[in-house]
Amino acid sequence: MDKQYNKTFWNFIFIAILFGIGSVVYFSSKSIDYTWRWERIPQYLINTEPQEIRAPFDGSIKLSANKKTLTVMPDNGEAPQVIKAFDILKVDNGDMVFEGDVIAGVDNWRIGPLTWGLIMTLKLSIVSLLFAVIIGLFTGLARISSNPALRNLSITYIELVRGTPLLVQIFIFYFFIGTVFDLDRFTAGVAALAVFTGAYIAEIIRSGIQSIAPGQMEAARSLGMNYVQAMIYVILPQAFKRTLPPMAGQFINLIKDSSLVSVISITDLSKAGREVVNSTFAPFEVWFTVALLYLVLTGGLSWLVQKLEKRLSASD
Amino acid sequence: MTEHIDPSIIVARDVEKIYPNGCHALKRVSLSVNRGEVVVIVGPSGSGKSTFLRTLNQLETISAGNVRIDGIDLTDKATDINRVRAEVGMVFQSFNLFPHKTALENVILAPMRVLKKSREDAVEKGKELLYKVGLADRIHSFPSQLSGGQQQRVAIARALAMLPMIMLFDEPTSALDPEMVGEVLDVMKSLAKEGMTMVVVTHEMGFAREVADRVVFMEDGELIVEDTPERFFDNSSNERLQKFLGQVL
Repeated sequence: MDKQYNKTFWNFIFIAILFGIGSVVYFSSKSIDYTWRWERIPQYLINTEPQEIRAPFDGSIKLSANKKTLTVMPDNGEAPQVIKAFDILKVDNGDMVFEGDVIAGVDNWRIGPLTWGLIMTLKLSIVSLLFAVIIGLFTGLARISSNPALRNLSITYIELVRGTPLLVQIFIFYFFIGTVFDLDRFTAGVAALAVFTGAYIAEIIRSGIQSIAPGQMEAARSLGMNYVQAMIYVILPQAFKRTLPPMAGQFINLIKDSSLVSVISITDLSKAGREVVNSTFAPFEVWFTVALLYLVLTGGLSWLVQKLEKRLSASD
Repeated sequence: MTEHIDPSIIVARDVEKIYPNGCHALKRVSLSVNRGEVVVIVGPSGSGKSTFLRTLNQLETISAGNVRIDGIDLTDKATDINRVRAEVGMVFQSFNLFPHKTALENVILAPMRVLKKSREDAVEKGKELLYKVGLADRIHSFPSQLSGGQQQRVAIARALAMLPMIMLFDEPTSALDPEMVGEVLDVMKSLAKEGMTMVVVTHEMGFAREVADRVVFMEDGELIVEDTPERFFDNSSNERLQKFLGQVL
């Protein structure tokens, strides 16, 4: 029998421990005289500062009557510059301006470097995930094939990929394969991630298929279905359901592993973090923010997979 | 369509099965079954009766001999085994329903994918068959929500949906609780009455006596006795059969 615990009490203990850990972080930062500057972070996520419009050359300002159109008349008789889209006006009719002076501003929101990094990480993850699943599915099927060539090829691939560090693979993909086939950074990064994750997914799919009772394949074949039909309609849907939890773990790993492609200068979330640290000198805040953003991605994925698992459990 | 004068729809001749580990599962087993005939195979466990049944649709490959279904040689490399299997229904001891599909989906899957029937046609036929096996009210249930007897009846409906010429039953009641055996046997009896060609591996001697046209006794991979139910159960002079019947009856 399960022991009955006092829920309120133990939940309180849980909160207290979390609070304790938080305090330790806070006081240890105090002890090294760290000044927290959280206010510097938001602009690297979303920049709400007005964008400046500068004078393209020396000249004078001419405004239309309703002040909606701004024209910069050049001194040297070249074509005038007409600016229509602006929200803030910094000059008046007849003002003399020099090249580079701020003459107006635009009030639009811009995405900051951390958000760009997040988008790049998301893009990298989704594209490599797609290819990894395709590679994994075919390799997994080849792995259990009775054809020795297919089987040995897939075993070799899986062992090669699992036996070498991802970082080394990324370098090989970028510097060797990337040079031979003239791949850009993004393609090389995606290829390395997809090939790496594909090997793990292949093993997950293999174990999923092998966990389905042989009677399922026999029943499908006895009804006249060929091997491919039996796989598509009978075996894989069941295997898919069973492999969801390990698959979710692998997908989460992929998102985290994608941070390694920053070594080939892809500005993903991690590299963006490093760059922002260089310009803010606020490493603690930036890395905590970056960690939080990764958590948002992986947490969101976990949540999606859990919903999917629930939906698929209808037949249990 | 067929112009066979030969009444035999299944002809197995000198079937041998030797597993890679050296186990000699079938020793020169020969059996022919006529259209509309019900043949029941009995024998102690490990006698090779299930193995033999499974060679009839090549779920089990054979080492020597040959099997002909409706004149088509299954051992011939040119034979499209999937087309033969589509005409030979099989019911398994452990049901082997597709757990991710409802009863109706189990029944309509193969007609749609193998016979390329439209969904409407398949559903109509599927409902009719599930009604016939007494499961009209459970068509949208998943296998996990059905009792063993109900699952086995869905499995029979699933095999029938392919409109087979032959039905193979591999110990269809052995995994059932005793109170559910009757409902499955009833469905099989009505099938036999309709003139379905059936080969049944079972331990249900009552069924064999009542329904079978012929009963076959196998032991140690050999076909030992093949006779009508009356002579098989009451007048057999074979010692090994008498010993076996003495144990099970």
